[in-house]
This record gives sequence, structure tokens and C-alpha cells, in this order.
Amino acid sequence: MKHIAKHLPHYFVLFGLLLAGILAFVLFSYDRIFQMVVAVAVAVSYVIWGLVHHYIHRDLYFSVVLEYLAVAVLGLVMVFSLILRT
Amino acid sequence: MKFIQKIAHLFIPRESNNQKAKLLHNSSLTLITFVFILYQLLISFVPRFAPKILGFAANISPDEVVALTNNKRSEAGLLPLSLNSTLSQAAQAKGADMLNKGYWAHVAPDGTQPWAFFTNFGYKYKYAGENLARDFSSASSAVEAWMNSPSHKENLLSSKYKEIGIGVVEGNLVGVDTTIIVQFFGTKYADTFPIAPIAEVKAANQPPSVEETKTLVSPFNMTRFVSLVIVGLLLFVLIIDGVLVTKRKTARISGRTFAHIAFLGMILAIVLILKAGKII
Repeated sequence: MKHIAKHLPHYFVLFGLLLAGILAFVLFSYDRIFQMVVAVAVAVSYVIWGLVHHYIHRDLYFSVVLEYLAVAVLGLVMVFSLILRT
Repeated sequence: MKFIQKIAHLFIPRESNNQKAKLLHNSSLTLITFVFILYQLLISFVPRFAPKILGFAANISPDEVVALTNNKRSEAGLLPLSLNSTLSQAAQAKGADMLNKGYWAHVAPDGTQPWAFFTNFGYKYKYAGENLARDFSSASSAVEAWMNSPSHKENLLSSKYKEIGIGVVEGNLVGVDTTIIVQFFGTKYADTFPIAPIAEVKAANQPPSVEETKTLVSPFNMTRFVSLVIVGLLLFVLIIDGVLVTKRKTARISGRTFAHIAFLGMILAIVLILKAGKII
């Protein structure tokens, strides 16, 4: 929690990105292509956020990059699978 | 004892997993992703080998579709559409054509346009429109999908249309049992001033009203269920991980647990938001 308080602006950015993603999904529920673009954009933004955050925090390592990528890809695969089946 | 150790190794940060639940290791996340992709491939190929297993079929009443459509129109201050049996026959024929030829589109693979069905049944239109929907589990969800799409909503709430026809077909579309709803909108040439006919065919969806659903195994629901289980499990493990690592003040090289929770929380929300049913 100390870490979150220290980097509050970072987390505000992250929450803003994620909330924008959810909002876009709700507002553009009729446009599957747009939803897929939003999903990719949010996943990429999430990974970039991780890289920038850890770089600033001076603990950016290759395994950390892979971790953000793994989480983002897993989320993306699930969302794509569902969008393509709606 | 060994089993408990293994579970702890998977879910709790400890020495055996380098102070990070094994489930959250990059290798585990990658494995989960691959297994999920394989699962999706399996669902996609099942219809080829075992038809009649996957799909979603529903009993949809055309009258209810008309009623829902007219409700939306009255809310918008428009006159209701009157049900035209010729249009309904044409819509039924369009639905049957999609099942027979195995396509899901406004224009058939052989180039047949939607309005060809209007004229084939002797409906001489000035204005014509088409909305298509499939796989909806309830009337309300389909209507909402329809109203949320500007192009479909435009069809639904167009003052140019005076009549409506509904076709509901159930059958096997490319290996998956489904229910297709075809909604035709029209205004007869005779009902208007004699100007050159204009065909305005737009993609439309339609509101299916489901009286009783008979679910086979819906690929969408299967995918959603598995997604919810995976995301739920990972969130659970991440929360445990976050609490224990903070409490123990463990120093380790890792991504931010809180950020992962936030991202997967968004994925969870999206999984819950997405609904079955296609409209074109």
C-alpha cells in the first residue's frame, strides 16, 4: 500500500486506461472490430505502463517485461475468443 | 501432505516457488494461455466431427419481435409497423436461404441481394430494410443489441417504413445449431408517391423474443465460463500473493501485483459485459 501511495499518479493513469477500456466496450457493444482494437490498445498500454513504471522505479528486468506480456496476452486471448463468438 | 504442499506451491508465495505463487510464474501464465487457445480450437473443430452438440437454439415468437419493435417505435413517437404476411414469408425464405447455403450475411455468396427476396414474393417496395440476428438468449438482449447499434437503430426507428415481416429459422449453420431472425422492413411502392423505387437495405439486427430457450452447448457460454474460472482463479491467487508479500515485506523481482489485479479486473468486467448474439 505504501508503494501505491508513493506512485499514486502512476496508478491513476493505469486506472484511467482500464476504465476507458471498459467504457469503450459498453458504448461500442455493436462494433466488434472496434472492441478488438480497444482490447489491443488497452493491453499494449498496460504493458507500456508496466515498462515505464518499473523503469522509473529502477527495477525493470526482462522477467518483469515477460510477466506483463504474459498477463496482457492471456487477457487479450480471452477477450478475442469471446468477441469472435458473440 | 504432499498434495497440500503442491497446492501451497501453486497458490501461495513461499520458498519452494521463489516467493511467488507458481500459478503466477511466467511459465504458468504462458501454459494457461496455450491451453486456452487449444480449448478454443477444440470448440471450433467439434462441429465438424460431432454436429448437434454445440449451438444455441431458441423458440422465438415473430409476434413478440413485432411487438418489441413497435414498442421501441412508440417510445420514439413513431407510428407502429403493421405485420405483412408477404414480408414475413420473404424473411422466412431469406433465413432458410442462409441455412441452406451456409452463410451469415446480408448478401448471399452467389450475390443474391436481400431485396431480391422482397420482389420474389411480389412485394413491390419503395423502401426496404433488413435486420439480422442470431444466437440471442433473450428478446431483451437482442433488442438492446439492436438499439445500441446506430445503423440497426436507424432501420428500426425509420419513419419511412410502414410494414414489417419476421422470419425465424432454426437449424444448423456451418455445424452449429442456431436460431436466426430475419426482420424485413418495407413500404410498398403503391403506398407512396410514384417516385423511382429506392432500395435502402441496411444491416440490421432484430430483437428476438425468447419464450423458451433450449440450449445445447453454446460455444460462447463455454468460452465465457472457462474465462471466468481462469480470471477468477488468478485474481484470487494475486490477492493472496499481494497480501502475503506485503505482510512479509518480501523483496523480489516481479511485476506489480496491484497492477495485475487491476488489469485482470478489467478483463473480468469485459467478460461479464460481453453477451452472446450476433447482429448484422
